Amino acid sequence: MTQSTASSRSSGSLFWTGAVIAYAAVVLFPIFWMALMMVMPNDAMFARPTVFLFKPTLDHFNYVLEQGFYWSLLTSFVLCTVSTALIIVIGTPAAYAFARFEMKLKDDLFLFILATRMAPPVCLAIPFYLIFAKINLLDTFLGLTLAYMTFNLSFYVWVLRSFCRDLPAELEEAAALEGWSRAQIFRRIVFPLLRNGIVATAVLCFIFAWNEFLFAFMLGGENVQTLPVSIPKLITSQGVRWGEMAVVGITALLPVLAAVFVLQRHIVRGLTLGAVKG
Amino acid sequence: MTTAADAIAVPSSAAPTPTRERFWYPYLLIAPSMIVLTVVSLIPFLYTVFLSLHAAKFGRVTDFIGLDNYIQLLTDPRFWNSIGIAVIFVGIAVPIEFMLGLIGALVLNQNVRGRSILVPLLFMPTMMAPIVVGLLWKIMLAGSWGFFSYNVLERFHLIGNTSVFASPDLALFALIFVDIWQWTPFMMLAFFAGLQALPLGPYRAAAIDGANGVQIFFNITLPMLTPLLAVIGLLRFIDAFKVFDTVFILTNGGPGIATETPSILANKMTFEFWNIGEASAMAVLIWIAFFVFCNVFYQVAKKRLNAF
Repeated sequence: MTQSTASSRSSGSLFWTGAVIAYAAVVLFPIFWMALMMVMPNDAMFARPTVFLFKPTLDHFNYVLEQGFYWSLLTSFVLCTVSTALIIVIGTPAAYAFARFEMKLKDDLFLFILATRMAPPVCLAIPFYLIFAKINLLDTFLGLTLAYMTFNLSFYVWVLRSFCRDLPAELEEAAALEGWSRAQIFRRIVFPLLRNGIVATAVLCFIFAWNEFLFAFMLGGENVQTLPVSIPKLITSQGVRWGEMAVVGITALLPVLAAVFVLQRHIVRGLTLGAVKG
Repeated sequence: MTTAADAIAVPSSAAPTPTRERFWYPYLLIAPSMIVLTVVSLIPFLYTVFLSLHAAKFGRVTDFIGLDNYIQLLTDPRFWNSIGIAVIFVGIAVPIEFMLGLIGALVLNQNVRGRSILVPLLFMPTMMAPIVVGLLWKIMLAGSWGFFSYNVLERFHLIGNTSVFASPDLALFALIFVDIWQWTPFMMLAFFAGLQALPLGPYRAAAIDGANGVQIFFNITLPMLTPLLAVIGLLRFIDAFKVFDTVFILTNGGPGIATETPSILANKMTFEFWNIGEASAMAVLIWIAFFVFCNVFYQVAKKRLNAF
């Protein structure tokens, strides 16, 4: 590229940058509006025509606190953390084994994992509900943790395997020739190189669990009520509590916002199940 | 360590096989995952098959009735209605998401600045909880006072003083619109990642030959991107059939059965009508369909994209 084209390219890039910013502003406006509704008094909310200036109120926050929604927040947080931690422990060796070793029926086992990931949750919710009702797992942390394994453990193994395959095998081979044991190789070579992949995949698992609604709604209850499930509860017989819903919705959104900034390009890889490297 | 790696030539064909690997070692590593996945997916699946072959209503499983549940399901107009809804939903939403995503990816590829901030922000609709997506549009499209209802739809006389979700003709299209809002960013950023990974060589050659932008797109970019487009499109296609959360909070299948997708219907059959047998039959059929989809996705991704 010569100097003259470089300047025309930069003005072009400004135009496209402006276009993307404008697009993002339009697309993200509903989220901004919902954030405003957290402090919008009810009369301003229902006004026709739309009111942009209003006196902020903390009523919605107060109601949400009075009704004990922080318990849902805490429940969500504990459930997602515990289930993700379990998945890391169970899934990491499997992902590594699928990436490195020859096995009989490897393709079939692997396809089974993919099929588990892709199975429609509704189809699983029916048998889960009936089985859990029999063995008293409805409305328990253990029950939901198990249910979350269907989409998250399979996801974790599948995506982490793609990270494992990016690691050069030569280091492990050389260490093996030096007489290192399998455990040593894993702990001192594989794990440090794989750490970023593990973190990225685990954060995605956490987000999927955090966002999950169907299982939490069907298999949870009074004891284990996650944040997403608490949202429809605000559609009461006395009317819909919009401002309160906005508060809970934005609360549910904040960890996701933090995660997308941390994950950046790993998101594409995760959401495409490793098909696109990102 | 690196010196050792340099000094000793390791036969590249051999996976790390130090001291004659014990054959069961990899099976030991995958065992915990496979046991858990069997318990949480294979057993529920087999139980669903069992239920679908028995008379099961209101939680009581009684006689073996063969394929009666399947016959009942396949002669139920409501089942076919839900399949039709899904076909319309997926058939409109996914192609639009695909085209908008491709255009967006090409724009994003034009040396746009501040991508490290813009890309995560653009990802928000896809990454946030679907139930919150539903809530967001319940607010924006609320009858009479919803921001979008009042300022756009009503102003241009598209609807009167009611919610678009209450209209039997428009509710499905409103749901399609929400799905497009939610999933276009995913398509866009996945395609963008694909564009970024394309080799530069062909573009240099085309620049020397004086090819214009349109020629470059159709003769270089599109052919190289096709496998990726196919895989992403297929993945989105599979996922769109499963739509539940947004529909559940926005219409729950209503008005009437105008937006009743298969997931919503299966859910109602189980937890509202308690017709477990027929719901299980439906689940088994959906399950088989998804297994076929999933197999196609795997083969295409593996062969065409060299992924996995």
